[in-house]
Amino acid sequence: MPEIVVKYEDKVIERIVTEKKRISVGRTNDNDVVLENRGVSRKHAMIEFNDNAAVVIDNESLNGTFVNNRKITEEVLRDDDVITIGKYSLVYNSQTTRDQDGGAGFDGTMVLNTKAQKKLLENDSIERQIVEKYGGSVLLGMENSSFAEFRLEREVTTIGKAKFVHVQAKGFWLSGIQAKIIKEEHGFSLVNLGKQGKTLVNGEPVNSAVLKNGDLITVGKTTFKFVEGKTQ
Amino acid sequence: MKHALVSDIHGNLEALTAVLADIEKRKVDSIHCLGDVVGYGPDPAACLKMIDRTCDTKLMGNHEFTALGLQSSGVFNNAARAAVEWTQAQLTDSDRAIMADFEMDKTLDNIYLVHASPLEPVQWHYIFTEEEAVAAFQNLKTEIGFMGHSHLPLIFSAGPGKRIRSQAGHTFQVGDESRYLINVGSVGQPRDNDRRACYVVFDSDEGDVFYHRVEYDIDAAQQKMATAGLPEVLISRLAAGL
Repeated sequence: MPEIVVKYEDKVIERIVTEKKRISVGRTNDNDVVLENRGVSRKHAMIEFNDNAAVVIDNESLNGTFVNNRKITEEVLRDDDVITIGKYSLVYNSQTTRDQDGGAGFDGTMVLNTKAQKKLLENDSIERQIVEKYGGSVLLGMENSSFAEFRLEREVTTIGKAKFVHVQAKGFWLSGIQAKIIKEEHGFSLVNLGKQGKTLVNGEPVNSAVLKNGDLITVGKTTFKFVEGKTQ
Repeated sequence: MKHALVSDIHGNLEALTAVLADIEKRKVDSIHCLGDVVGYGPDPAACLKMIDRTCDTKLMGNHEFTALGLQSSGVFNNAARAAVEWTQAQLTDSDRAIMADFEMDKTLDNIYLVHASPLEPVQWHYIFTEEEAVAAFQNLKTEIGFMGHSHLPLIFSAGPGKRIRSQAGHTFQVGDESRYLINVGSVGQPRDNDRRACYVVFDSDEGDVFYHRVEYDIDAAQQKMATAGLPEVLISRLAAGL
């Protein structure tokens, strides 16, 4: 039986094994797969199954449906294809990839971890509240950070282990000023200034990067999340 | 302890090389650089590497801050801004990483070191006058502070109950009764009508402050600046010492 693994920010929140010929994906509760996120339309997409083939069809959604990061209207799925809808990714496999270890429902749908899903959605809503309250973009302290929220108000924000920088980061091998965040006309970019390899975006070392909403910035041992506001 | 204090090298490798050779002869225990290694001159990268290798203390100057893109070069005059932009284009990632580790200020026992002023170091306040020294002294936590920034070798002293006094830089011995803010002058672009490179040696055991002036190959520095296409006003001022 085909299987769809639903992930939210790289965490598996649901594993769907279905005998249905077609499942609907969207924000409202009457969908087979409910994705609670602003970027998801009410009736966002359909996935149709036929023998060993599957097709994903975008339902003229506002923010689009992507397969392997390419925007599609209709696409035949192959094993391990990743469908991206809002902040969710759905990984397709024509056969179940692991033993079912939870209680299966009548149609084979199985929710493995609703608690984790709820927590992720709660965090998302807290972030949204912070950004909405301020209006602009912020850094949220995730790991080893001395603050929960830092507003990106300046033209240039410095990050490092020196006392005089705006945002403190931890790590013995860090430079005094390890990186800077520059306010650009349409958003923010991050530039490494200090030792190489100590500034990472989503786990990858960078020299410079345009920041996207939700990017995880790691400087030394400290991690921040970049949350984009409405106004710059 | 004998401390050598150098500041405002401004990419002048000829001046820096001559000063470091002079310091070598004087058998000091440590060398402290008070910032502005780059800007104006033709060899910013070579000067950064030489300072990084030889100095025990490396402080941030406003020209490093600007070269790192942490403040706008709009605060500079036209010639300085042209030089900053030229300097930025010369520097590699590893040169920037050297500057990124410069400290804003430093306290060694009873000595404070900073590029511009103990008052809000990152605001780069100038101290030209006795009035400007008042707030600086209020923020000085030690008996003696050394700085650069204005390129003018000046000694500000504040005795108890006395008004602040400024004097041109000269070799002297610090007194027990006073506190001092001492500008060590500039290695790479002196502005006190003396074209020779300037630096200071402080003997913290004896309390002696020595101002040293060193001749260097100004022609060679000027030639390089002309080849690099740096502004004429910056080239000619080296020979005049202003």
